[in-house]
Amino acid sequence: MNQSLNRRRLLATAALGGLVGATGLGSLAPEAAFAAEAVTVEPGAPDPNFAEGRISKVSGNMLLVTGSDTVLHSIRITNGTSIWKLHPTTFDQVAVGDGLYARGVRLPDGTLAADSVWVNIVNLHAHIASVGRNMLHLDHKGQRIVAHVVPGRSAAVYNGTPAVSDMSLLRVGRHVQVLGAWHPDTNEISIATVYAAA
Amino acid sequence: MAAVTGEMSWFCCGSAWGPCGTTGGGACGTCKSGNYQHAWPNASDACWSITRPDTCGMSLSRRTCGFRHYTTNLCSGLRVGTTIADCGPQTDLWCGERSCCGSACGTNRIIDLTPAAYSAIASLSTGLRPVSVDIV
Repeated sequence: MNQSLNRRRLLATAALGGLVGATGLGSLAPEAAFAAEAVTVEPGAPDPNFAEGRISKVSGNMLLVTGSDTVLHSIRITNGTSIWKLHPTTFDQVAVGDGLYARGVRLPDGTLAADSVWVNIVNLHAHIASVGRNMLHLDHKGQRIVAHVVPGRSAAVYNGTPAVSDMSLLRVGRHVQVLGAWHPDTNEISIATVYAAA
Repeated sequence: MAAVTGEMSWFCCGSAWGPCGTTGGGACGTCKSGNYQHAWPNASDACWSITRPDTCGMSLSRRTCGFRHYTTNLCSGLRVGTTIADCGPQTDLWCGERSCCGSACGTNRIIDLTPAAYSAIASLSTGLRPVSVDIV
């Protein structure tokens, strides 16, 4: 059995047993946790091991999530779950009203035992409408988005060069891709990385 | 078609929350964030006229709604099969952009995956990855 299957089985076992302690897997960075996935899904089909929506309730180590298509999801968090909310973070930073994408293992009772949860993550393609102090105003599909620069976190990637904290090369009218975290129920986000073409 | 090397990102579609709430079912009308689907720059004449990968020196084949592509993340070797559900990415806005993992690099944006598909082969927090795209 390969390493991915081993990890998935361990995670599922931990979730079924309701373990909150160590799963034997350790906590993984979001960039690494996706490697646990080994399910085969037909191209074009929905992935049963993936969920999205907004958190309607936090109960113990469970997230109750209402999908954007109104489907309800129960998502179990274990010590092996990696959580991203602008940066890698902990379960206590997750709140009712947050949006999320989650990937894990669907258990027989329908619960998703989460390997990875990305909270409020957005990946926007937009134009810069204006540049303010520690913020960008973006035009995104006809809507205005206020994107906040977070000192010590936000980074810019100019045409594939290594990420830097200097946002001064961003110009009004330029096309950008902004990876960040949405502020629920607002038109604001915090910037993780802004990609700008040369 | 030989495998094409380039960059991938991800996009949301269908019913969604936050800023994604303004998106719909994509050019094909079937796109959903939870499905294994993707956007392709040459899904139609109208699509091509917007994305213009040729201005970056790329010749991508015409593939229409429902066509299957298989994308391999050059950073991890993980692979996912998806169907065309939208037009994109807008390759011409990013001509020459290059992403690398060590010596494995991709230049120019050639495919956008849904969150479900992207997260099967990379973390959503990476945002951009070098890939190869094939039809088998």
